[in-house]
Amino acid sequence: MLERDHTVVTINGNEYLAEPGQNLLEFIQSIDESIPAICYNESLGPIETCDTCIIQLNGEMTRACGKKVEAGMRVQTKLPHVHKAQKEALDRILEKHELYCTVCDYNNGSCEIHNTMAEFGLEHQSRPFQPTSYNRDDSGSFYRYDPDQCILCGRCVEVCQDVQVNETLTIDWERQEPRVIWDNDVPIDQSSCVNCGQCSTVCPCNAMMEVGMEGEAGFLTDQEPGLLKKMIGLTKKVETGYGPLFAVSDTEASMRESRIKKTKTVCTYCGVGCSFDVWTKDRKVLKVEPHAESPANGISTCVKGKFGWDYVNSEERLTKPLIRRGDQFEEVEWDEAIAFAAKRMTEIKEEKGADHLGFISSSKATNEESYLMQKLARQIIGTNNIDNCSRYCQTPATKGLFRTVGHGGDSGSIDDIAKAGLVMTIGSNTAESHPVLASRIKRSQKLFGQQLYVFDLRKHEMAKRADRFYQPKSGTDLVWLSAVTKYILDQGWQDKKFLKEWVNGYDEYVQSLEPFTLEYASDLTGIPVDELKDIAKNVAEAKGVAVCWAMGVTQHMRGSDTSTAISNLLLITGNYGKPGTGAYPLRGHNNVQGCSDFGSMPNFFPGYEKVTDDEVRKRYEDAWQATLPAEEGMDNHQMIEAIHNGELSGMYVIGEDTGIVDANINYVTAAFEKLDLFIVQDLFLTKTAEYADLVLPASPSLEKDGTFTNTERRIQRLYKALEPMKGTKPDWEILQLIAKDLGTDWGYTHPSEIMEESAGLAPLFAGVNYERLEGYKSLQWPVAADGTDEPLLFLDGFPFEDKKAKLFPLEFELMYDTNEEYDLHVNNGRLLEHFHEGNMTYKSEGIRRKTPNAFIEISKELAEERGVEEGGEVKLISEAGEATGVVTITDRVRGKEIFLPLNDNGKSAVNFLTDNRVDKDTNTPAYKEIAVKMKVMKKKGKSPIPPNNHRRGNPVPQISVKVQEKWKREDYQFPGSQVRR
Amino acid sequence: MAKPITGIKRQTVSYEEQVEKDIHEVREAVADNKEAILKGIQLLKALNEGGTLDSAYAFTNAKHEALKNVVNEISKDQYTPLLENLPEVVFLLGDLNVKGLREVTNRLNNGIEEMERTPDDKKTNVLDLAKALKDPEINRSLTLLLQFLRGMGK
Repeated sequence: MLERDHTVVTINGNEYLAEPGQNLLEFIQSIDESIPAICYNESLGPIETCDTCIIQLNGEMTRACGKKVEAGMRVQTKLPHVHKAQKEALDRILEKHELYCTVCDYNNGSCEIHNTMAEFGLEHQSRPFQPTSYNRDDSGSFYRYDPDQCILCGRCVEVCQDVQVNETLTIDWERQEPRVIWDNDVPIDQSSCVNCGQCSTVCPCNAMMEVGMEGEAGFLTDQEPGLLKKMIGLTKKVETGYGPLFAVSDTEASMRESRIKKTKTVCTYCGVGCSFDVWTKDRKVLKVEPHAESPANGISTCVKGKFGWDYVNSEERLTKPLIRRGDQFEEVEWDEAIAFAAKRMTEIKEEKGADHLGFISSSKATNEESYLMQKLARQIIGTNNIDNCSRYCQTPATKGLFRTVGHGGDSGSIDDIAKAGLVMTIGSNTAESHPVLASRIKRSQKLFGQQLYVFDLRKHEMAKRADRFYQPKSGTDLVWLSAVTKYILDQGWQDKKFLKEWVNGYDEYVQSLEPFTLEYASDLTGIPVDELKDIAKNVAEAKGVAVCWAMGVTQHMRGSDTSTAISNLLLITGNYGKPGTGAYPLRGHNNVQGCSDFGSMPNFFPGYEKVTDDEVRKRYEDAWQATLPAEEGMDNHQMIEAIHNGELSGMYVIGEDTGIVDANINYVTAAFEKLDLFIVQDLFLTKTAEYADLVLPASPSLEKDGTFTNTERRIQRLYKALEPMKGTKPDWEILQLIAKDLGTDWGYTHPSEIMEESAGLAPLFAGVNYERLEGYKSLQWPVAADGTDEPLLFLDGFPFEDKKAKLFPLEFELMYDTNEEYDLHVNNGRLLEHFHEGNMTYKSEGIRRKTPNAFIEISKELAEERGVEEGGEVKLISEAGEATGVVTITDRVRGKEIFLPLNDNGKSAVNFLTDNRVDKDTNTPAYKEIAVKMKVMKKKGKSPIPPNNHRRGNPVPQISVKVQEKWKREDYQFPGSQVRR
Repeated sequence: MAKPITGIKRQTVSYEEQVEKDIHEVREAVADNKEAILKGIQLLKALNEGGTLDSAYAFTNAKHEALKNVVNEISKDQYTPLLENLPEVVFLLGDLNVKGLREVTNRLNNGIEEMERTPDDKKTNVLDLAKALKDPEINRSLTLLLQFLRGMGK
């Protein structure tokens, strides 16, 4: 039977067993028969541009990377003419690339040209180096391109076209001197490039390089340009043989290792959870280098994760605790600050009771820090008034999933989304909010025939790419989802076997669908009946359906119900517990998932065990030696209300600019003013901190150890890359100091001990420990005690008593609409290049110069009707407040819908407009339900989108690098046919 | 009634306090690294006695300038052959059969010695040449030379 699974291949006369269909080059390298290869990269697949991996296959000369293993293949890699062809290919590369390694910033031991030449044993430059007639492109803020070092391997084009799928880069093979070009040959800075930086990540040499590396990486590279050029000339003169050159440069490269620190970390921006090495020299961040083994992202990044780290060294960082005295803050020492916090908390607890204190954890902080915050609240203060910012975004999704399938997280991995036959995104601007995950969908759709259906108000990038794009009326997704489900049932297209085996509540649910006829749905949503039928048919027939949703679903008064409707549809069609299927609520921040997982919730201990469950509580009481409160606490929203009602007097907020990101900020900040004690822990003096009595300066992710949990339920370790900036402390250390001052010494010396304690108490994380998470290893909860995790949930049923999921009946009533006075609907969301309120990303000069501020998107129709043009200024007025901003006119919005990015903390902040409406089941603010009227303040002006913003670019989509056009060139001859035998 | 504020009264540390603080920090560091620091002092002493410290100090001060001067100088055309020859010489050394060369050099030295003993006015006629072929030493030299000529032509 072995012959069936394996295939015999003869290489240099020896027989080997190989996997059929395996890449031949990869196989040859795996058996240590080294052949040169430069353009090939495992994450990209064969590009076939460099010709260096030439072999003789069954008598014919060919590129190994372009072949797949087949039975009976006979391969020769070492025959003289094969060697000669390989050498010819390498010589051609050295005509394009000058080896001045010792004075090159890319000489860090990983230059693939250097290493390939050295391994091949190439001793001499056979033909002279020929520079191009092009200048270097230094126009971009983040990376630059040097045509004189570029070997035209096309990796950057491949990654831009088919991995990131931004489709900016191409190689123009037709011109005399081919080169990489941006859009239709414009400078980097003027193009559609989104600065994901992946071209510089995959470039095998110094042609495409991060600006942060320039003049920083080498010992001799920090010279003025003229001198550097002379030094290059010198190295060239003595390079008669490459041996000595490599010896010197290799020594210099290893010297660099003692100076440049490479630390694995996890991105602190969105919920995708990209991991990478961050290269630092002292406190300087030189570059971010993702790895093929990064579990969530592979080699991918977006502009924020790759280049958005300036905030870490910002001069605006707080470096001393601040206490409010009179009408200003005073800097104080840590001892005094901690004593103040402890004393005031004790006073409030003694005077008014423990429940007069409220705690808000940060979804940007680690799991361990979330755990300690809830421990402080529950064990030491004695209240369940603890919550986190996922209340603002994804709690409704969690609720919907708990109702139906029992686990409040993504049902599979990002790999499953990429594998699905049909991906539906609902209320998600994926390409800007979760860029690396969006790229996986874009790639599957572009190359592998995945269908993409987008349901959104706004015609954003994913909508433009979609196979089908629908714009249902705001807040009515529940209706079309239910109608489509009903139609599937009416037609008998449901997955009967799955339903019988795995699902409860069928009859009751089917009955509840009665009102959701196609006509009713079409009326409410605006999607025609025929289209709805078509959607139903395609969902029922698709090979694996994955539904991704985000704030466009959850931030409505029926956010939980709509999330439930998604899950119902997936159950009816059997799209759970199989690869390439499932429900994917896309988590917004790096640790939205983990912050809730580890107990910063008013109703749950870590691992979603109820605080009202006596048995569970007993477990924690025994471990913590304390009596714990048995009633559920207040969530964020209730806390703010309680302050207004005089029922909450003290609040402790970590890493959350509540005064900007909560809905109806006028109401929220009015509450802050009423507090007796307000402690804010953050990197910066945020808008929220301005109301504080005590501000504690914290350290960001790069300055601490810990773990984050991404949207896939994947727990990943981050390692300390930098020492905490002087005067600041990691959140877990601060929490521990406060606890100690309040009389309990936790005695943790490292976050690993916190995780150990938590894993010992919460069955969901039983097998989690730091060893199992070492380096790039990760675990997707639930994790059994033996360390087995579950990348794909529900393979053995659902976490209910009889292992069956539940269909959950729903109703619908339209509660929100615009009216005659407030006639415009305001939608809001993220921009690719900014994060949240912008406290971190606006610190990056490179990002600021391309996207300096938020703007208001209005449609052409509306602009004409109201007589406002590009760059005009408008005031938006809702029942709750008003915001002003500069206008851009775009087809991304239509009719009377307006879009306002949430990334602004000035007068354009969207939450001046939002009100106290909430999701009826979770109290998540209905941020997406704002009706406003618009006043034109200024008719026109300077466009808020600078000329160098990527939104103005013109992408050039194609598949791969089009190497066939290179082969067609008159001056091209295949090295394999050039050599005589 | 906590209104939003942004003013910060910075902690002002007097010069004396700062010095006191810094000294404290340094003293702690010295105590923590006593052994390394004592060794370091010995190293400094040795460097100082040898005069190396002065040179290193001077060079460090002029590092960028010095490098610039050196690079500018040796980038001049007149050095090009020298620079190109340098690695060639290195390779030459690697390629040469030094052992054989030493033997040849010995013989060459013997020849020179013998040559020097010969008076300037001594003449050789054809007959002397024919006779000389019978001399085993001369015959050996000629044979070697012929072999060398053959090898060089290959």
